[in-house]
Amino acid sequence: MGLLILRRLVATIPVLLLVTAGVFALIHLTPGDPIDAMMAESVDDSVKRELRRDLGLDRPLYLQYATWMGRLLQGDLGRSIRNREPVIENVGHRIKPSLQLAGLAMAISLLVATPIGILSAARRNSAVDRVGTTFALFGICMPNFLIALLLIFVFGVTLRWLPISGYVDPLEEPWDGLRSLALPAITLGLALAAVITRTLRSSMLEALSEDYIRTARAKGLSDGAVIRRHALKNALIPVVTVLGLQLGTLIGGAVITEYVFALPGVGRLVVDAVFARDYPLVQGVVLLIAVGFIVSNLAVDLLYGWIDPRIRHR
Amino acid sequence: MATILVAPAPSRSVRDRRWGTLRRAARARLAPFGAAVMLLAVAAAVLAPVVAPYDPLKQNLDNTLARPDRTHLMGTDNVGRDVLSRVIWGTRVSLVAGFGSVVIAVLVGGVLGLVAGYAGGGVDNLVMRLMDAVLSFPPLVLALALGAVLGAGLTGVVIALGVVYTPTFARLMRGQVLAITAREYVDAARALGVPGWRIAWTHVLPNATAPIVVQASLSVAFAILAEASLSFLGLGIQPPGASWGSMINAGRGYLQQAPWIVFGPGAALFVTVVGLNFVGDAIRDALDPRLRV
Repeated sequence: MGLLILRRLVATIPVLLLVTAGVFALIHLTPGDPIDAMMAESVDDSVKRELRRDLGLDRPLYLQYATWMGRLLQGDLGRSIRNREPVIENVGHRIKPSLQLAGLAMAISLLVATPIGILSAARRNSAVDRVGTTFALFGICMPNFLIALLLIFVFGVTLRWLPISGYVDPLEEPWDGLRSLALPAITLGLALAAVITRTLRSSMLEALSEDYIRTARAKGLSDGAVIRRHALKNALIPVVTVLGLQLGTLIGGAVITEYVFALPGVGRLVVDAVFARDYPLVQGVVLLIAVGFIVSNLAVDLLYGWIDPRIRHR
Repeated sequence: MATILVAPAPSRSVRDRRWGTLRRAARARLAPFGAAVMLLAVAAAVLAPVVAPYDPLKQNLDNTLARPDRTHLMGTDNVGRDVLSRVIWGTRVSLVAGFGSVVIAVLVGGVLGLVAGYAGGGVDNLVMRLMDAVLSFPPLVLALALGAVLGAGLTGVVIALGVVYTPTFARLMRGQVLAITAREYVDAARALGVPGWRIAWTHVLPNATAPIVVQASLSVAFAILAEASLSFLGLGIQPPGASWGSMINAGRGYLQQAPWIVFGPGAALFVTVVGLNFVGDAIRDALDPRLRV
């Protein structure tokens, strides 16, 4: 296991280098002058010159990259040109709502998908199965923002049960906090639940057709025990893989969801930075998200090896 | 499967066969629906100037937020524009973005995969690590960042999505190339002294196309969703131009008084994506029987 972790970590290094190079190049992809793109025409020339010097844009490219990387290795991701705060602090203020949203969404998706996926497989071709597969298809083809607006329309605008925007920290005010996160978490959770349902259903079908299931049935175990003890355990392995593959979609979904519900999270920060043309902030946050994404993919990979010993020994 | 048990299980194989037949029957019913949706979308996009009942940009401040009725089948928006006409014009944007970005990804990814798989060694390593790097970004975040620096407009979004989908096709093509170049007929061609590029062009490429086509047909649906998400966030076609995502974003402030501004284009988007998914499934079944469930 230790060797596996080491091998994966080493393999990540060149990719990380390329990722940083890509993020660095981002600002240079702007058609025309990035400074002009970031600042209004009316801004004084001396201010623009200062920013250009600040960002090092007046120096040769390789020097810029070297300096940028040097700072990066010391943990300096640059500063936002809007509020002059370091990127790290900008993200620090925003990370809590994002993590709460992701955690709740994950919990909701598992609560919804596990029973539907199991029932669909156990009673395949029944009415339950048809409802389950239709639900999965809907969830996969429906963009996040449309689910969000449907929920807002039904539970926010028509029934007026839940708030449709804003954020209250559930750690400080549990009830209002959970209410403020309810619709965003359901939005994100349903999209994820659709994918999990689909995967769980097909992996359950496969597990249920294995010989050991027939053996378990033959020795007189009840249906419930067969599913719980024998089929589900094996069917969960592909679900973990899919969860890993869905991380990127989950992050993208969080960006949209935070935008729709005006949640002050990291996703919202990216969107705001993009539209404020705050390129250093965009670079910093995108880099952080990418690194987080790589690390969690690595974690899923290792988790997979831990769950399924067959992989470890390959 | 396992041979421990003495008696084979006839019930299982029979059940599976019946299940497979049912699935195929269901697919066969869904594929024409998908094809119809796709034809309708293409027709709407091409014939938009002819079939749209009103000018999609023409405002009518005397008739804002009008309910759907016989004169305006999907109602009007906050400045009195006909929602149906804007949905029809928006089809163009969605299809151009969906197909355009996938075409870019297939061409660039295909060539990269071909070169990587065929050249091997350092080139292969470099290209594939580059693809890994692109895959290290959550797709929407990468598209958002690229779209931001490339500037607002449809071109920026199409290029951004093209970049996002490129690694998928590069990996697929490389895998195909590796599998095909190990075949005997490629050895035979080499032994006959056929130059490398010609082997790639006449032997490898034609045999590698099936999975690429399958992946491409499924990717279009997701690219259309991605374009809608980006234009919902404000990238892509700028106002007053009509795209489904931007219409939905503009309408969300009127969800209570005029939900049709959101749900008109929303329904168009959903139906198109479902339809394209069915078409993609059908193409997969037709081209790659091994994947048939």
